[in-house]
Amino acid sequence: MEDLLSIEGFSVKYTTSSGTVTALDNVSLDLHPNELLAIVGESGCGKSTLGLSIIGLLPPSTATVSSGSVLYKGKDLVKLDSNKIREYRGTEIAMIFQEPLTSLSPVYKVGEQIAEAIMIRELRKKGHKVHSDLMQHTYTKQTQKISRLPRLSRKIPTELKNEVIDYLKLVRIADAEQVLDRYPFELSGGMTQRVMIAMALSQEPALLVADEPTTALDVTTQAQVLKLMKELMHKVETSILLVTHDLAVASQVADRVIVMYAGEIAENADVYSLFSKPLHPYTSGLLACVPTGYKDTKELTPIAGTIPDLRNPPTGCKFAPRCPRAMDVCTTTRPHLTSQEDNRSVSCFLYE
Amino acid sequence: MFKKTPESIVGFIVVVSFIVTGIIVTVFDLLGIRVTPYNPIQQNVGVALSGPSWDHLFGCDFLGRDVFSRVIASVPNDVAVSFSVVFVAIIVGALLGSLAGFKGGLLDELLMRFTDVIFSLPVLVIAMVIAVALGPGLTHMMIAMIVIWWPPYARMARGESLRVAHQNFIEAAKFAGQRTLGILFKHVLPNISITMLVYATLDVGTVILVYAGLSYLGLSVRPPLPDLGEMISNSQDYLITAPWLPIIPGIVIAVIVIGFSVLGDGIRDALEAR
Amino acid sequence: MSSETILSTENVTKYFPVRKGLNPFSKEKRFIRAVDGVSITIRKGMTVAVVGESGCGKTTLARTVALMTPPTGGKIVFSGRDISSGRIDRTELYKEMQMVFQDPESSLDPRMKVGQSIAEPLHGLMGWKKDEIDEAVKRSLKAVGMSEDYAQRLPRQLSGGQKQRVAIARAISTQPSLVILDEPTSALDASVQAQILKLLLDLQKEFKLSYMLITHNIAVAQYMSDYIAVMYAGNVVEYGPTKTVITKPRHPYTIALISSAPIPDPTKKNLLQVEIKGEVPSAITPPPGCRFNPRCPYAESLCSEQNPALEEISPQHFVACHFVQKTA
Repeated sequence: MEDLLSIEGFSVKYTTSSGTVTALDNVSLDLHPNELLAIVGESGCGKSTLGLSIIGLLPPSTATVSSGSVLYKGKDLVKLDSNKIREYRGTEIAMIFQEPLTSLSPVYKVGEQIAEAIMIRELRKKGHKVHSDLMQHTYTKQTQKISRLPRLSRKIPTELKNEVIDYLKLVRIADAEQVLDRYPFELSGGMTQRVMIAMALSQEPALLVADEPTTALDVTTQAQVLKLMKELMHKVETSILLVTHDLAVASQVADRVIVMYAGEIAENADVYSLFSKPLHPYTSGLLACVPTGYKDTKELTPIAGTIPDLRNPPTGCKFAPRCPRAMDVCTTTRPHLTSQEDNRSVSCFLYE
Repeated sequence: MFKKTPESIVGFIVVVSFIVTGIIVTVFDLLGIRVTPYNPIQQNVGVALSGPSWDHLFGCDFLGRDVFSRVIASVPNDVAVSFSVVFVAIIVGALLGSLAGFKGGLLDELLMRFTDVIFSLPVLVIAMVIAVALGPGLTHMMIAMIVIWWPPYARMARGESLRVAHQNFIEAAKFAGQRTLGILFKHVLPNISITMLVYATLDVGTVILVYAGLSYLGLSVRPPLPDLGEMISNSQDYLITAPWLPIIPGIVIAVIVIGFSVLGDGIRDALEAR
Repeated sequence: MSSETILSTENVTKYFPVRKGLNPFSKEKRFIRAVDGVSITIRKGMTVAVVGESGCGKTTLARTVALMTPPTGGKIVFSGRDISSGRIDRTELYKEMQMVFQDPESSLDPRMKVGQSIAEPLHGLMGWKKDEIDEAVKRSLKAVGMSEDYAQRLPRQLSGGQKQRVAIARAISTQPSLVILDEPTSALDASVQAQILKLLLDLQKEFKLSYMLITHNIAVAQYMSDYIAVMYAGNVVEYGPTKTVITKPRHPYTIALISSAPIPDPTKKNLLQVEIKGEVPSAITPPPGCRFNPRCPYAESLCSEQNPALEEISPQHFVACHFVQKTA
């Protein structure tokens, strides 16, 4: 089974007024087809940077890829220029962001936006070169071929309309007919997020990158959306890369979990192994932080200390200053991701 | 305090020189000592309309008065007017605007409509009305400008207060027993002052420009007392024959205004970086 | 365990008038019924968690109880005094009742030093002298696990977790009997959240504090509270001891809510069993009868006619449902 996504030694640096921040430090991971991989970590661990860099959405003025490759179906996305990346972005590789309202165009109706997504998919299937600029209803010179198609004015072509309704129904939007004609700001947060998913999935993407897709949603809506993503994964044969800070969410939907800390991968394991037998002390620390049990029963043992300053990371293991099991070697040398049994890997001297 | 680019440093020098000159001239004037090379109102028909020379750096005007001395002597006017107007405008604007933004409701409506009315008054018309009513003069022009200069500050203060009013520390202040006025002075005003000060720095230049226009129209100090705008208007006829007479005061005004402007930019850049 | 009641609300309501249409002089008024008849009790040393999703009214309830906004109706009794009737000296009230807010970033005045922020309620409410206040600030910082020299720092030099600690230090500086915690850890990372929750529990034991905990996070509510009140569309639909509500929820909404909370255990895939349709109703025109009835799998005709009242179905366990027997 060929890997859908293969990231190797990937490092990203941000230049800020107070120094260079190493947001991602030598990250390597594989994503298989039809797999839901959760990237879990706290703020500043680099998980969002990872998600954004896969589809080339890093801010060009401040972020630089200092090393490594991101192989999608064998093609290095890092090496592609911004025009070429667009052929993948929004088409084969779809993205969902945390704030649904800022990801949908406010001046076009929901139905129109999904219809356009479908149109692009059809064009892509026919082999036309497509820019994701189309998603913004702008037409550049290279897309003259598209002008032969009916212009997306106020009416959606009927054959498209039915498919749009199908997708809306797929994401459990009742009254799909009415929602077609609504603008994104007229819908609730949960609904707009589902519209986003519908739009992303209408592309029949091979890879869906979801960056905290449910953080801004209520807990019941979150449950619905996550359940939906999992079901659709199998229906449409999509792999999902889910970036989240919520370990509980990851445990519920992920097949495999990667725990990140301060720009590095701490641990990579299938979800069952990770939760039953966490190897990296940070993972165990994180698990011990999740409130379970009732008042005055189980003590929460917080992780002491704070995340390191990424402009001046400590020498040696970045977690060592806070690690209850730190050894001498941990403060002098950086550990590497080493494979363990059961198809898992961990970056920790306890296991080298 | 401000981002040190070549322009902003030049601006800083200009502004500091401007202020220092104004202070020095005023202080020594009060002491009865003349600081300028020549007496600004001393006529000397022999050197009338002479061009810039080592003796008279900016030349002499049609009555033989040394232009350089007159320029220096008119700086205190501009310093006084510009700083007073902006100072009062900030105070009045901040108080009214923050009260309106913070309390909202009917008070907000009333204050803002009042602000709108004042904002719509043209400075020239008001200046002339006051000149007719009270007579021309420096203080009268200051009053004219003060009366209508504060609305932009009020609007700014209101906008900033709206932003601040929703912050949790304002609610916390209520839990600490603070009432509206207390919160305004302790929490709202300090947090909106930076934006207003930056605007004020840029605004000082504008005041000088507008005041120059008023004194050009003869509404401010009357001759023989020197004033930059008035110097321009009185020497217009000599544009061809003695161009330094109208041009030099104009350049001086421009330099001062631009100096404030680039300094203000530098301050704003420094604050935005934070 | 003392059973002194610190706070008790009786059918408290908070309506916000909303103009119908654009006419500013229109007499027609509609109301956002944010809190529509809530009665809860908090006893000394106990934590009552008010849980619910966005729009349920829990934050409005907190603000109304704290008299940040005057209640539209009902009664609020604090330490035996009826505080909902008109003229109340809030200075006296806030000596005993304080609040910690959700967003640590905006909880502290960015231009004030940490020590000044903590001292603010002491200046405004207690009338102490400078020395007493300085001592109290030091004590508060120590109580939240921060060293004295933090008093001289500015908020921007602190992390999110530290800012929240300062906010807590400020809230306990007057030694209140009730602290209202409005989503105190929602904006914090998991490891920081654990630190803050532990701190809050320790402080509760040390100072015999009562907490009203507003949260949408079931796990946090379960971990921190003795009682849980579940709110939906302005009403309390279920209320009881935490363990009972979590393990034996009886209101259909509570059941959906509890089962939606992801359990950090991949062998217990609760999320995939959840099925709840529809959306939260409009607060201006709630559905007639029981607010939850359009989404309720057990709804019958009575549900759209009459809004059920809370009834005690077992000791201390109250549910507002006409057909609560269906969920037994």
